[in-house]
Amino acid sequence: MEQNIMTELPWLYAGLSAYTLAMLAAFYGVIRTASPVVTQPLNKRFNEQLVLLLVVTGVLLLTMALTSRWIRIGHGPFVNLFELLISQLFSLGLVFSLVYWRVPMMRHSAVVALPIIMIMGLWVLTVTPTDSVFPPTYHNNWLWAHVGLGKFFLSFSLVGSGLAGVILLRGWASTARWFRSMPNNEALDQLAWRFMLIAFIFDTLMLIAGAVWAQDAWGRFWQWDALETSAFLNWLALGAALHARLTYKVPLRIAALLIIGIFIFAFFTYFGAPFYSEAAHKGVI
Amino acid sequence: MSGVLTFASSTRFTLVGMALLAVGAALSYENPAGTPVWVLVVPMMLLAVNLLLAIINNPAINRRGGLLLFHIGLLGVITLAAVGRLTHMQAHIELVSGNGFSSAELFDVTQGPLHTGDVEKIQFVQGSWTVDYRAGMKRGLTLDTISVADENGVWQEQVIGDDRPLLIHGFRIYTTSNKGFAPVLTWQPERGEAITGAINMPSYPINSFRQTNTWTPPGSEAIKFWLNLDTGLNENAAWLLEPARAKAQLVVNDGDQRVELNLGDTLALSGGVLRFDSLASWMGYKVFYDPTLYWLFVSSVLSVLGMAFHYWKKFSVNPLLMDSIDTGKNASENNSRVNSTSEYSSEKWV
Repeated sequence: MEQNIMTELPWLYAGLSAYTLAMLAAFYGVIRTASPVVTQPLNKRFNEQLVLLLVVTGVLLLTMALTSRWIRIGHGPFVNLFELLISQLFSLGLVFSLVYWRVPMMRHSAVVALPIIMIMGLWVLTVTPTDSVFPPTYHNNWLWAHVGLGKFFLSFSLVGSGLAGVILLRGWASTARWFRSMPNNEALDQLAWRFMLIAFIFDTLMLIAGAVWAQDAWGRFWQWDALETSAFLNWLALGAALHARLTYKVPLRIAALLIIGIFIFAFFTYFGAPFYSEAAHKGVI
Repeated sequence: MSGVLTFASSTRFTLVGMALLAVGAALSYENPAGTPVWVLVVPMMLLAVNLLLAIINNPAINRRGGLLLFHIGLLGVITLAAVGRLTHMQAHIELVSGNGFSSAELFDVTQGPLHTGDVEKIQFVQGSWTVDYRAGMKRGLTLDTISVADENGVWQEQVIGDDRPLLIHGFRIYTTSNKGFAPVLTWQPERGEAITGAINMPSYPINSFRQTNTWTPPGSEAIKFWLNLDTGLNENAAWLLEPARAKAQLVVNDGDQRVELNLGDTLALSGGVLRFDSLASWMGYKVFYDPTLYWLFVSSVLSVLGMAFHYWKKFSVNPLLMDSIDTGKNASENNSRVNSTSEYSSEKWV
């Protein structure tokens, strides 16, 4: 009898372990920095390099998980929840590590962003890694563009949410001191919204690529199915938030809540809509 | 400019339009056909007016190339979407192998009041097709062979299926999961000429246990048919649905009589003789027409490019992203730098 060995699982567990260690190292860094009774100063540079190294290691290990599964079942991670979660863990880690590397100003926001990634990491452990069947409509290059652009959208939203989370956590004295070495809230707000603007561009491109794919796959570019409706509302919400900032003097905390709300909405669009509704992307199978 | 126009070109009005559009989108969820069209049309029109006025009157938009391109592109998308709804056409058709496309056989036809496509120009002939299935009846690729007349009137074979539609005279014709078998029968009445035709059985394999249909020959009574198929169908293994290799027996119910017909068999019934000539297959197609598709794509991509260019320019003026906070000194420099860019921060970077 042929045994179906899930070769991707060891890589997945190892990748999640690396992410967990990165998260712990990030927390250690901010807590040590904030501690009033530090006997030995923290080597901040070393701590940040360690966090980056661990996230990059996690990304590489998840790359192996994705590759081995791809080889085993013969198609990319596009179909079931297990595959979507692994690929999202990979892309969130990849974009986050790039931003972490290039934008030192945001590094302490890792204590917000990495736990969010780990929520997905814990979730994937509860999902049965069943093999999926590649639907005929997925043999299309626009699917790659659609999914890839969507991952960039969610990743940049995560980075924005991390910074927004810092602004909110500064509202409590116990956590405010974690972020003493970060710029003031106005600067973080600007930076967070820059990332949301980049996310908006990728979100728009994702919708365009998705419409082209849907036209090829199902003979219509828009049908208001669960995923399309949710994605469009998400795009509208982000567009409206950007316009609201232009129009009104939105308090920083409200603006931060808006960013986090948009990320939660995007998260629901990705991991809620396709799986609570059988009609998500009609004709998917 | 009057107060109304000022408001209509403002971002506050944009927010109102967006809110209304969100409501329209939520109402259209899962039921676009059953939702009044104005729930989307009204907010889209309001946003189009808002965009147009903002493009004309707002120097923050019309003096910045990228932002201008973005808003013009968006206006183009809204306009083209409206034109698309007015000119579109959508329909379904089932074609039996060997038969040509005929607009008279279209069903579920919906079209805009300004539809301009000439469906009569479509010419192609249905050939054979295969669909591969994986274990568990998971549908795989559809390979549908059709013959299409080229510009010189020469018939060329073409394989379409799934996400590869037939593109012809502005129409896009897609295979669907709806396909099946069609026994070809000849009815020889007691007086008059024989007629030959095919009876489409329900979609296969989803209705593999209900391959039944009814037909009433001219001058006779309704005949019930059941098609007993051998296609190699195995739900637990991969298999190829290939109608050309399928074997069939046609079961005819004539009153209390149950007769099994093999290919070529005849059966005398009241009013005439029925012959089971051959087993054909049929393919269900979706016919789609929207002349704005290409320009919708161009407009939306230009719009995004405009937005990306605008922000690229803005961000490159103040590369906030690269600032270092490694030391307290740098951090304070960083903060002062942010503050010193008030001319940009006042615009909030959007």
